[in-house]
Amino acid sequence: MEDAELANAAGAGDPDAFGQLIDRHGLAARRAARAILRDDDDADDAVQEGMLAAWKAIDRYDTARPFRPWLMRIVVNAALDARRRGRVRQAEPIADTVVSGGLGPDRVAEAALLREKIDAGLAELPERQRIALVLFDSEGWGHADIAATLNVPEGTVRSYVFHARRAMRKTLGTLAEGMK
Amino acid sequence: MMLSPFDQEPDPELGRMLREALTGPEPEAFLRRLRMAAAGAERGDQWDVLAGWVRPRVLAFAVAAGFLLWLGAWFGEPASPADSGVTVASLPAHAVVSSQPPAVDEIMSALRERP
Repeated sequence: MEDAELANAAGAGDPDAFGQLIDRHGLAARRAARAILRDDDDADDAVQEGMLAAWKAIDRYDTARPFRPWLMRIVVNAALDARRRGRVRQAEPIADTVVSGGLGPDRVAEAALLREKIDAGLAELPERQRIALVLFDSEGWGHADIAATLNVPEGTVRSYVFHARRAMRKTLGTLAEGMK
Repeated sequence: MMLSPFDQEPDPELGRMLREALTGPEPEAFLRRLRMAAAGAERGDQWDVLAGWVRPRVLAFAVAAGFLLWLGAWFGEPASPADSGVTVASLPAHAVVSSQPPAVDEIMSALRERP
């Protein structure tokens, strides 16, 4: 079933339909929120706040427009609001156990280093470049959807991605050898 | 033909690294929490919200009013005709039924008779 059909059903009061939309987009929303807030708990709170706002407003969603940018804009705004209100907790390094997932010591160290480098690289980026990079490369979104989410022209999104990638390559160094 | 650096395709390697770094712990549990939060949240327009706010308060007000009435009935003294402050019976009958106001001395004598 398409997103718009599920959104229609959710708008008619079907919570299961909205649950399916959460399954489809919840993790992408979490990654975008973490790219903005850089703290697990704050990001999860912002995603939950955004998802509940979307659920309450779902009957106002225009099915002629794509659902994903509509939802993501709400979540991104919730994350940006959380940061503006200064409600964020102090960011703490992610524990190795979170990164490891049962990997061997070499792989754990490598994953921790990667996480550290990615964090450092994202921290260096301006906010909108960070969001554009995550949505484009991590989530595979098109420029148009990102432009709709950030409310900027497509050309601006292309520029954001270009500059963000260049900065990330520099930060990641040898880890980025496989990157385009 | 030379491609512009802005003609981009998603970079799978960078995408994998970003997802690995940003997905966060226990993704399934996170999605489950979101679904539960949405299922537990009420949906509706502003009238539903107002109605939801008003209904419990109306009920609470009715209960409080009922309790106060019961208290009043339980502890209050029963009203007697003497407490009404009007001693109609002590006025001469013609003063009560007449369309003319009673004379002053009739009123004064009625007041003097009052205990």
